[in-house]
Amino acid sequence: MTTQTQPVTEAPVHGATEAAPAIELKHAARWYGNVVAVNDITFSLGPGVTGLLGPNGAGKTTLLHMLAGFLGPSAGEVLVLGRSPHRDPSVYRQIGLVPEREAVYPFMTGLEYVRFNARLQGMPDADKAARDAIAMVGLTDAQDRAVGTYSKGMRQRAKVAGALVHDPQVLLLDEPFNGMDPRQRIAMMDLLGQLADRGRTILFSSHILEEVERIGTEILVIVAGRLAASGDFRAIRALMTDRPHNITIRSSDDRRLATALIADPAVFAVELQSDRLSIQTSHLSAFRRLIAGASRKADVRLLEVASSDESLESVFDYLVRR
Amino acid sequence: MALIEAIGLSKHYGAVKALDQLDLAVEPGIIGLVGANGAGKSTLIKILLGILSPTSGRATVMGMDSVRDTRAIRQIVGYMPEHDCLPPDVSATEFVTHMARISGLPRTAARERTAEVLRHVGLYEERYRQIGGYSTGMKQRVKLAQALVHDPKLLLLDEPTNGLDPTGRDEMLDLIKRTGTSFGITVVVASHLLGEIEQVGTYLVAIDAGKLLRADTISSFTKRTPVLAVEVEEGADRLAQALDQKKLRTRLDGTRILVAINDDTVYDMIRDAVANLDLPLVRMQQERGRLEDLFRDAAPAAEGIQ
Repeated sequence: MTTQTQPVTEAPVHGATEAAPAIELKHAARWYGNVVAVNDITFSLGPGVTGLLGPNGAGKTTLLHMLAGFLGPSAGEVLVLGRSPHRDPSVYRQIGLVPEREAVYPFMTGLEYVRFNARLQGMPDADKAARDAIAMVGLTDAQDRAVGTYSKGMRQRAKVAGALVHDPQVLLLDEPFNGMDPRQRIAMMDLLGQLADRGRTILFSSHILEEVERIGTEILVIVAGRLAASGDFRAIRALMTDRPHNITIRSSDDRRLATALIADPAVFAVELQSDRLSIQTSHLSAFRRLIAGASRKADVRLLEVASSDESLESVFDYLVRR
Repeated sequence: MALIEAIGLSKHYGAVKALDQLDLAVEPGIIGLVGANGAGKSTLIKILLGILSPTSGRATVMGMDSVRDTRAIRQIVGYMPEHDCLPPDVSATEFVTHMARISGLPRTAARERTAEVLRHVGLYEERYRQIGGYSTGMKQRVKLAQALVHDPKLLLLDEPTNGLDPTGRDEMLDLIKRTGTSFGITVVVASHLLGEIEQVGTYLVAIDAGKLLRADTISSFTKRTPVLAVEVEEGADRLAQALDQKKLRTRLDGTRILVAINDDTVYDMIRDAVANLDLPLVRMQQERGRLEDLFRDAAPAAEGIQ
């Protein structure tokens, strides 16, 4: 990336990127007095976008703050690019953080704020870097206005530009879409996708599951300070063998199709509803292979086949309401 | 008579036109109000509440003029602001009773209504605790309760699910839906989350740069299109090939195959092609329009600038 102003420690950050995962937690915990915010969490993340999910108070912000180096773990290890970020400014060069709270001085203009960040990160040409970052989030037209006059969505984008200005390997965002309007949300989702395509590691927290699902399939779910699941949410769904899969079907003759389907061992419940069939199966793949042939054999026209509990929303619900 | 009406409504702040000749007529229901940041949503709400007066044009609520009949309008309107506006050192019961008294309810009625409304929004024992110790979800409920306590005909909600987690959001949306349908109160929900509006709303008002972009029923935005989306676990390319050979108009979109529905035999051709190739069929569903398309198509070059 850019020249390091002061190589403080012996191992340069660059050397570490090859071997170590971008983000790694080993039995990490963090408590505040008697309150346990993060409890024995172990996982690692590589390049790409990952959604950090969990109910309010689950420990998402604490986790992001540990990764950003604000907090040291009370136990275990937190590593970014193979090194502990806590109190190590040379690791900060590789991290961009968009905090949830308002962290922008209202009297600065957008450009000043982003340039200030660039200088803080020791960028050689802070002005150019700031202008580029501002353009990336689409704020150029408003860059010379004081941040205090910005709308919430604009302030949010100024924060993102400030976090991106030094082109970090690892980008951490806490509720980045908050306050953005539909158009800005779409633009920000596209931006995160582009950064992921360029090999950056992006971890963002959000409550809006439809949006998380549209950005990517990798998730990290935290419930009450513990890691409930991590990975591709569709794979997580497939592992929940105790939850049968629900499929709804509309056809030209639901009753006849129901008769044909219940004969197969892959299907263990069929419910005839007013205008559709609701089917439960524990062997999803077997059922998927069966459905087209079975309806042809029964001479029934298939109008619609859809899963009703494969979405991120249902997976999250299953994980949290356990 | 329309519940809310705006005729040539304009509001200028210096050179900035927050509302520009807005014409609007809204019938009762659950209405989603969407628009870019700075599109004029908050200005419209403030004019309807009589907090701001229009530069020109007029707005009415149930036939009452927003400038002339402000007091009468406030009696029938409940408002839930977006920002944190609750005093931390009183209990929910005390606060909501106080708001009821301000709306002119006598002491006993205020107390009774408060108890009812707090139960409706799902606050039970917590109501006697100080608001400062409440979670975001509980605070949102108190804000909704104070907007409902004087039994309004119209409820204006500004970003009611802000800061809520997925479970909290679902509960709040459910509450809004119940308030709108079982009490027959018209609810206007200003939100950036189109999925949310799709879930609870019956009608959508989209404003952009101070003008009406579109106003129509939600179902008209999300109606089925004559395109069938087909997804298979594997072999999408082979399936697409087979469908092309049958002269179907198809397009590969990521892992999905989109097929134009010319007539009903298309369904059978897809079923047979999947069966012949012995592919696992994940999904076959008619595509629906999305509220989001409204913003995708209209996105101007200088996107999102206020």
